[in-house]
Amino acid sequence: MGDHAAFKALYDRNVDRIYRLAYRMAGGDDLARDVTQETFLRAWQRLDQFRGDAAFSTWLHSIGVSVALNELRKVDRHRKRERPLEDTAFVAPASPRLDHEALERLHEAVDELPEMYRTVFLMHDLEGYSHGEIAVVLGVAEGTSKARLFRARAKLRESLGDAMQEYA
Amino acid sequence: MDEEREDWDDRERNDEVSDLVDRLRESYNPPPETPREEMWAAVEAALEGRAGAGARRAAQVVSLDARRFRRGPGSRWVAAWAVAAAALLILGIGIGRVSVRAPGRPAAVADVPDPTAMRLAAVEHLGQTESLLTLVRADARTGRLDPQVGPWARNLLAQTRLLLDAPEETDPTMRRMLEDLELVLVQIVGVTDTGTHDVARTRTELNLALKGLEDRDLMPRIQAMVPAGSGLSGTE
Repeated sequence: MGDHAAFKALYDRNVDRIYRLAYRMAGGDDLARDVTQETFLRAWQRLDQFRGDAAFSTWLHSIGVSVALNELRKVDRHRKRERPLEDTAFVAPASPRLDHEALERLHEAVDELPEMYRTVFLMHDLEGYSHGEIAVVLGVAEGTSKARLFRARAKLRESLGDAMQEYA
Repeated sequence: MDEEREDWDDRERNDEVSDLVDRLRESYNPPPETPREEMWAAVEAALEGRAGAGARRAAQVVSLDARRFRRGPGSRWVAAWAVAAAALLILGIGIGRVSVRAPGRPAAVADVPDPTAMRLAAVEHLGQTESLLTLVRADARTGRLDPQVGPWARNLLAQTRLLLDAPEETDPTMRRMLEDLELVLVQIVGVTDTGTHDVARTRTELNLALKGLEDRDLMPRIQAMVPAGSGLSGTE
């Protein structure tokens, strides 16, 4: 029980960021919960492998991103995501410059990003992870993280085409 | 990690993209409030249930059940059912392996997964699980747990894990359902293991387990895969 109490403290400290990232990646509560829970379960099982040469939260995120990507590959959910118009009505853009249709295209463009670009984009631009963090979590160089983000943004601009010009 | 976090408005982002990113931050899969306690309940229950791994873990659960079944004649029907279900499951796994093994062909080729037999066993398993969950729902209302629920849930948990460990079960929909089912069954087994006769506590803990059931839409998903009547036809 003592171990569980200590683990609960680690859970409390990290669960929000893990769940938020999982939700951004998965696009739904069920899968985000599964990913989050599985992340902590795996962390528990592998605690003896945690060597302390990175922050615990970074190590945990490495597990989380790996679990999320594996799950997404299985269900390919982000590519089959259906988003009825009424679901997005409540987030209708505050700015009249980006209309609903353009926003939908933008979402689809994010869905269609290659996995390596999408992951970095979601982590950095939507969830505020630093390139340093992303590099450790994904096991790549910091420059690689920056390059992937640059390409992700370029692809988004490219896929938006006319809407982007209107918006600019 | 927070100390290392860079300023969101870093130099790479030009104004044009910055506006788009701001819109996406609000609208692209915006996370709801984290269901901390619900997830922790599931994690904790799974931690309790994941003492072992794979078949060893399942075997432990089954052997524990076997000891319980010997306690009295009242649970003989559960034992009989468990034996029959386990036999069906093992048969399903066996058929799944044997039916695709052509004589004279190398094992690597012959072991191509044929999910048909596994699917039949899995659908039958889901039908039994639906019955258990219906019973647990009724017990949750009264706060009095039927003594048969414990061994039954343990057995179904063991079989769920056998199915999950079977390489023939490759259908992602079925696998996902079994994984969800595993978590709910772990919680139910956890409730039965406490052995409490406290009605309020039993009701609360069962309701927590059933909340996981509802959050995952498990019953409709099971019912969709287990057609009424036949139990074996009409699956995906």
